[in-house]
Amino acid sequence: MTSLDGLRDATSVDAIKNDLLKTAYENEGSFLHRLDPRVLLLWYVVFLFVPWLFYDVDVLLALLAFVSLLAYASRVSLFLVALMAFTVASTLASYAVVTAFTGDPLAAIRALIPFTLKLTIISVSSLAVFSSMGPKTLARGLRSLGIPRQFTFLITYGYRMLPVLFEEYHDLVNAYRLRSAAPSSPGRFRWRHYAYLLKTSMRAFYPMIFNVAKRSRVTVEAMETRGFSHSLHDEASKELQLADMRVRPRDVGFFAGSLAVVAVIAVAL
Amino acid sequence: MDETHDAAIVVDDLSFRYPGTDENVLDGADVTIEPGEFVAVVGGNGSGKTTLCKSFNGIIPHFYEGTFDGRVTVAGLDIASSSVAELSQHVGYVFQEFDNQLVNPTVFEEVAFAPLNYGLEDYRERVHRTLDLLDLDGLEDRFIWELSGGQKHLVALAAALSLDPEILVVDEPAAQLDPVNARSTYEHLTDLNADHGKTVVTIEHHTEFIAEYCESVVLVADGAVEWKLPVEDALNRLDDLRAQDVHPPQVTRVAEQVCDGDDLPVTVADGAARFADRAPAESVRTDGAVEPSPAADAGREPVISLTDVSHSYETLREGTRQALDGLSLDLYPDERVVLVGSNGAGKSTLLRLVTGIESADAGEVTVDGVDAGSALPETLADDVVYVHQNPEEMFIEDEVRADVAHYLRDRGYPDVEQRVDDVIEFLDLDALQHRDGRLLSVGQQRRASLAIGLATDPSIVLLDEPTGSLDLASREEVGRTIDRAGQRVETVVVATHDLELAASWATRVVVLDEGRVIADGPPETVFSDAETLERASLRPPQVVRLSERLGLSPAPLTVTDLVSRLGTAESAPPAEAER
Repeated sequence: MTSLDGLRDATSVDAIKNDLLKTAYENEGSFLHRLDPRVLLLWYVVFLFVPWLFYDVDVLLALLAFVSLLAYASRVSLFLVALMAFTVASTLASYAVVTAFTGDPLAAIRALIPFTLKLTIISVSSLAVFSSMGPKTLARGLRSLGIPRQFTFLITYGYRMLPVLFEEYHDLVNAYRLRSAAPSSPGRFRWRHYAYLLKTSMRAFYPMIFNVAKRSRVTVEAMETRGFSHSLHDEASKELQLADMRVRPRDVGFFAGSLAVVAVIAVAL
Repeated sequence: MDETHDAAIVVDDLSFRYPGTDENVLDGADVTIEPGEFVAVVGGNGSGKTTLCKSFNGIIPHFYEGTFDGRVTVAGLDIASSSVAELSQHVGYVFQEFDNQLVNPTVFEEVAFAPLNYGLEDYRERVHRTLDLLDLDGLEDRFIWELSGGQKHLVALAAALSLDPEILVVDEPAAQLDPVNARSTYEHLTDLNADHGKTVVTIEHHTEFIAEYCESVVLVADGAVEWKLPVEDALNRLDDLRAQDVHPPQVTRVAEQVCDGDDLPVTVADGAARFADRAPAESVRTDGAVEPSPAADAGREPVISLTDVSHSYETLREGTRQALDGLSLDLYPDERVVLVGSNGAGKSTLLRLVTGIESADAGEVTVDGVDAGSALPETLADDVVYVHQNPEEMFIEDEVRADVAHYLRDRGYPDVEQRVDDVIEFLDLDALQHRDGRLLSVGQQRRASLAIGLATDPSIVLLDEPTGSLDLASREEVGRTIDRAGQRVETVVVATHDLELAASWATRVVVLDEGRVIADGPPETVFSDAETLERASLRPPQVVRLSERLGLSPAPLTVTDLVSRLGTAESAPPAEAER
């Protein structure tokens, strides 16, 4: 259980934090990062549908391999991959548990494998697309597609606040720990200890939300003094921010290439 | 000052009341700030000085729907009828909580934010020009959260400057920064004022900075501007300042007791010139021999012992940052230890290792004989209490009283209520005990966080920056609190940049620099070692610097000490002093 171990050990909280921040920001060298965000978003929409066109497990596995390759190329966070793998495995396990009462669990799992594969393909392509784009590119892509700045700014701001939230949360968990009594006996597999940490980690959310809400007052004032709401109605500002976004041959090539790969997979298998 | 613009600030009979309160926070304030001035706005907590300054760019009244009366004109614009966006092109504002005003991930984006919002095509040049101006070039691609406090403050300043406003308002730079960074901010402000003709308005508690950098002072009292005077005159109005919880510079406080007349010196240089003939010719010792360094005091068992400790943090673009680098330190019972050093010297890391919430990468940390690396923080908390530098992180309940009681209740102590009452009374929190800690003023928060710490009845108290971002009145109060806490507990360790606190309170000063101990000893010894202090980018308190200029050795550490030295020297022959 990554999150529990992470909580126990401050350094691994830091490790997760760094891992996620790397996913968010350190993607400049990756292949997908160089593409136009609008093309990537379109590609993503297409790949939301593609898996549902096939039923054959081999085809789906090939598609999964393809998107995994892309995800690898865009240096997805190991933590997120682990989290996803855990979700997929536990979903399959829960099918088994449920169907154990209704009949043959193995057959049920076999029947549900294509469905799970499709969901996994979509998850992996989400990871690839969104972790390669970076908040700024994503915001620009969405904005150029007509999404209002109030929303797209929230994306970049949210990412900017991530490390601050991590820090705040970490501090509050520590504040709880320094003022609480740990269970006197940790129990088998230290379960009492983990339950205590889990409880502490949930309680720390409440003060964190308060602290953050209190701070946002200054943030809003500061944004105003630097013309944020002025920019919402200012065409020149919008143009300037969306300048140098254009669809290049490599964007078209990537899009066409992906469709070709899908076609080859569908025909060959 | 060479004026390059004509953007004056004229406040005419301004009154303002926040919604939901029955008292005007500003009540008939009148002041004029001419183009190109360098003005400090002073006043006690709650005097209305921040509200006054927030009217310059229209945040008051456009962002607070209070009752607004009177007229404020900035650069010829009436603020009531101009938008914040319009006024902000003339007024740059750096907030006190500047951390929260930085909304973009990287330095470049942060500084480009305003020019982009106004659709200025030359935004790239603006960013580079502004960063150049503040010596921040090279930091463009750095992430905001990986910068030091001083750098963040300068980035906030750069972001406010990128629109090239004629007026800059900076709210309490010295409260949030260590003295060295605060000086560097003031140096930059001075350049902007002198070379670029900007009007600079700072809200400031530290009269030492005011004396050194500002031209005039505006005193705000009870919602009105009591006076605006040139700095030397202003800092000589000792009674007016004290009535508003503003403490005159140490030099002036010494002069007040030693000299006659109204024309008291306000800077170290003035003071040195004035006292030159009063300084005793020979060095005298005030109270016998300097104490031996406790580290040399064999035979006692250390309470906290760090041996060869190293610890580092990962950063995204800068690789690993070494916080502690092979540090060894033993702390003994009944010591009052102050850890000093610039930001990032390793002070906070050291304290956190002692609490067990972090484990050292290498080396050994022992607390009361227990290995802190493997013990749970909950176990160590039996003896050790850690008071966070940001008191907000200590409030986990919704009232102060519950926060104070949390530890005792959780551990099933008997007579919790009685103990809580004790601590609440001890720290004078009676009136605040049922309020939410997060909504108190910074000074009150600090006191509440100390109460939370003391309620655990610790034998070791670790305080991280206990006087940070406090006005001087609250600082003295915290100083007294720490004093009283010292009577209850065995060992107190304070990490701070506040060398005045160190001078007046510590029995042992440990100077950290880049994760190592570079000096360790009683304050008299450490503060007389100018070279080491400089290496750690620290500045001794004004009294010490003044005494050095006067050739007093060992240098007295507090105003009272210096007064008694100068006072008793009344009949002493004129000293050759001064160098």
